Amino acid sequence: MIDLSVNLAGIKLKNPTILASGIMGVSASSLKFVEENGAGAVTIKSIGPTDRTGHKNPTVLAFDNRMVNAVGLSNPGVDTEVHIVKEAHERLNVPLIVSIFADTIDNFAVVADKLLETHPKIIELNLSCPNTDNEFGKMFALDADDTRKVITLVKKVTQGTDIKIFTKLTPEEEDFAELGKVVEDAGADGITTINTIFSMNIDIYSRKPILSNAYGGISGPAIKPVGIESVYTLYETVSIPIIGMGGILTGEDAIEYIMAGATAVGIGSGVYYRGIDIFQKVTSEIEDFMKKEGYKSIEEMRGIAHNS
Amino acid sequence: MSIDHPLMLPIKNIVTESPNIKTFMFDYNFYAEPGQFCMIWIPGVDEKPFGIVKREGQDFMITVAAIGVATKALHQMKTGDKVGFRGPYGSSFTIPARRSSIALVAGGYGIASLGYLAEEARKRDVHVHLFLGARTKKDLLYLEWMKNIGVELHLSTDDGSEGYKGFNVDLFKKYVETNSKFKVQNSKFDMVYTVGPEIMEMKIAEICYAHHIPFEVSIERYMKCGFGLCGQCCVDPVGWRMCVEGPVIDGEKLKQITEFGKYHRTASGKVEKYPWAK
Ligand SMILES: Cc1cc2nc3c(=O)[nH]c(=O)nc-3n(C[C@H](O)[C@H](O)[C@H](O)COP(=O)(O)OP(=O)(O)OC[C@H]3O[C@@H](n4cnc5c(N)ncnc54)[C@H](O)[C@@H]3O)c2cc1C
Ligand SMILES: Cc1cc2nc3c(=O)[nH]c(=O)nc-3n(C[C@H](O)[C@H](O)[C@H](O)COP(=O)(O)O)c2cc1C
Ligand code: FES
Repeated sequence: MIDLSVNLAGIKLKNPTILASGIMGVSASSLKFVEENGAGAVTIKSIGPTDRTGHKNPTVLAFDNRMVNAVGLSNPGVDTEVHIVKEAHERLNVPLIVSIFADTIDNFAVVADKLLETHPKIIELNLSCPNTDNEFGKMFALDADDTRKVITLVKKVTQGTDIKIFTKLTPEEEDFAELGKVVEDAGADGITTINTIFSMNIDIYSRKPILSNAYGGISGPAIKPVGIESVYTLYETVSIPIIGMGGILTGEDAIEYIMAGATAVGIGSGVYYRGIDIFQKVTSEIEDFMKKEGYKSIEEMRGIAHNS
Repeated sequence: MSIDHPLMLPIKNIVTESPNIKTFMFDYNFYAEPGQFCMIWIPGVDEKPFGIVKREGQDFMITVAAIGVATKALHQMKTGDKVGFRGPYGSSFTIPARRSSIALVAGGYGIASLGYLAEEARKRDVHVHLFLGARTKKDLLYLEWMKNIGVELHLSTDDGSEGYKGFNVDLFKKYVETNSKFKVQNSKFDMVYTVGPEIMEMKIAEICYAHHIPFEVSIERYMKCGFGLCGQCCVDPVGWRMCVEGPVIDGEKLKQITEFGKYHRTASGKVEKYPWAK
C-alpha cells in the first residue's frame, strides 16, 4: 500500500496538496468546493483587520506560463471572517489553514487574538504580499527584525493553545537562509514559501500598466525553479516543516518540491491551468510516480535531493 | 480557448439603444456561445464583465447600461478608442432543439445574451417568444433586430407607453397560466431562458417551477478574474464559480443555490442582502 498522507507539524493530511491562500478561499462554500475536489488541506484568503475592497480590476491576468495578480488583499475584515472561519470548520473535513495579514506589527496580534475563538489549527502569517507595498511600506518579510517581532507577538497571543504558527515568506529576501533561521528561532512551527514575485506588465497601445495597481505578483509555472530553490535552501538551514509552493501543476512538480524538502505542497495558479480538480489530479499523479519508482510513503522522498 | 489578458480592440461602431444603453461593436471574431461573457478593460478606469452578443454580419458586440463609474466611462468613449478584451468565459445556454418553442424573459440589458440566443434559435426554426420589459417605450432594446429574425414579441412597459402596462413577469405569468390549459401548438414552452434583475429572475423561476417548465437563468456575481481562480463569484452553499460553473444555471441546479434571490457578495467578499429579501 502506498501511503499518501503527511504529518504537517502534528496535523495529519490525507494527501500533501494544499489550496494556497488567495485562490478560491473567499467563503466556507468555496473552500468546501475545493475540498470536494481533493485537497488535503485548504487555506483561507488572507484575513486582515478591516474590510478591504482590494484593487480595481484588472486584478488577475493569465499568460501561457505565468499569472500576475494584484487583488490587493480584499477581505471583509476579521470581525466578519470569524463567522466564515467557524462555518468553514463546521463544514470541512480537511484541515483549514487560517492566513492573516495586517498593516502594522501590532495588528497581526489583534487579528490573531480575534480569531482565537474559532480554534484554528494553523495560523499562517502572510508577511510577504507584494501587492500592498506602497501602502504599508516595506514588506515585513524583507526585514528580519519585523519578521521576528510579528512571530514573537503572535506566539504570545496563542500561548497556551496548540495553534501552529506558519510564516509565509518571499524569495526576494537576499539572505533567505538567514531569514529562515530567524523565523525558526522566533518560535514559528513552519514556513510557507514562496509568495508571488514583484512584476509589471504595460499595455503598449494605451501606454498604461495593465493591473490597476500597476505592480503585481507573478505566480505559476514560470516561478517554479525559484520556489524549488527556496525550499531547498531552507531545508538545509531549518528543521521546521515547509509548505512548498510556486508553479505546481503536476504530480511531478509536487514531487520535485518534496524532494527539495517540502512536507506538503501548495497549489494556487494550477487551479487555472488544470481546473479545480487539480488536487485530485496531482494526488493521483504522485501515486503513479511512487508506484512506478517503488516509493511507499511521501516521507521516503522528502529531502532526498539533499543526499546526493 | 479563451484570451486571458487584455487584447486591445478598437471600437468599430457605437449605437445608442436607449437613453442609458449603448451597443459597442468590434471587428473581432472568436467562438463563443450565447450566455457567455467577456471582461472589458477601460484603460485607467476598471475592467468589468459584459454578455457577449453576436449577430449576422457583426463579429461581436456588447450592450452596456451606464450605471456606475466604469460603464459611464465606456459610454464616453468614441469610435476608434481601444478597450481590452478577455474571454469568452462561463457556461452557456442550451441551444434549443429544432422546431421547439421557447420563451425568453429579459429585463434591462438582459436582452444582450438573450438576443444572441434568439438569433441562434431562429436559425434552427425554433418558435421564439420574447417577453421584454422596460420602464418606457424608449427603453425597449433590440426591437428591430428581434422583429427581423421573426421573434414573437410580448412587450411590456411600466408606464404603458408600449404593450402591456406593468411588468413582463406578470405578462409571462398570464401567458403561461392561459396556455397551459390549452394544447395550441407552440403555445407551451419547451424551455424558458431568463436574464435580468435577480428579483425578476427569481419570480420567473417560481412560475417555471409551478408549471414544470424547464428553464435556465444567468446569475451575475461580482467578478475579478473571470476564469475561476479568485473565488470571488462563488455561491452558497455549493461554492460553484459563476464565472465557470455559471453564469448560466439550469432550474434543477438552481435549487441548490440557496443564496439566489437573497444576497450576493461585494468586492471585499462581504455578504450583502438584497433590499427585497427579509
Ligand atoms: C456575467 C455578467 C454579465 C453581465 N453582462 C452585462 C451586459 O451585457 N451589459 C451590462 O450593461 N452589464 C452587464 N453586467 C453588469 C456589469 O458588469 C455592471 O453593470 C458593471 O460592472 C458596473 O460597473 P460600474 O463601474 O459602471 O458600476 P459600479 O458602480 O462599480 O457598480 C454598480 C453595480 O454593478 C455591479 N458590479 C460592479 N462591478 C462588478 C463586477 N466586477 N462584476 C460583477 N458585477 C459588478 C455591482 O452589483 C454594483 O452594485 C454583467 C455582469 C455579469 C456578472
Ligand atoms: C490571485 C492570487 C491571489 C493571492 N492572494 C494571496 C493572499 O491573499 N495571501 C497569500 O499569502 N498569498 C496569496 N497569493 C500567493 C499564493 O498563495 C502563492 O504563494 C503563489 O501564487 C505561488 O503559488 P502558485 O504558483 O501555485 O500560484 C495569491 C496568488 C494569486 C495568484
Ligand atoms: S471571478 Fe474569479 S473565480 Fe469567478
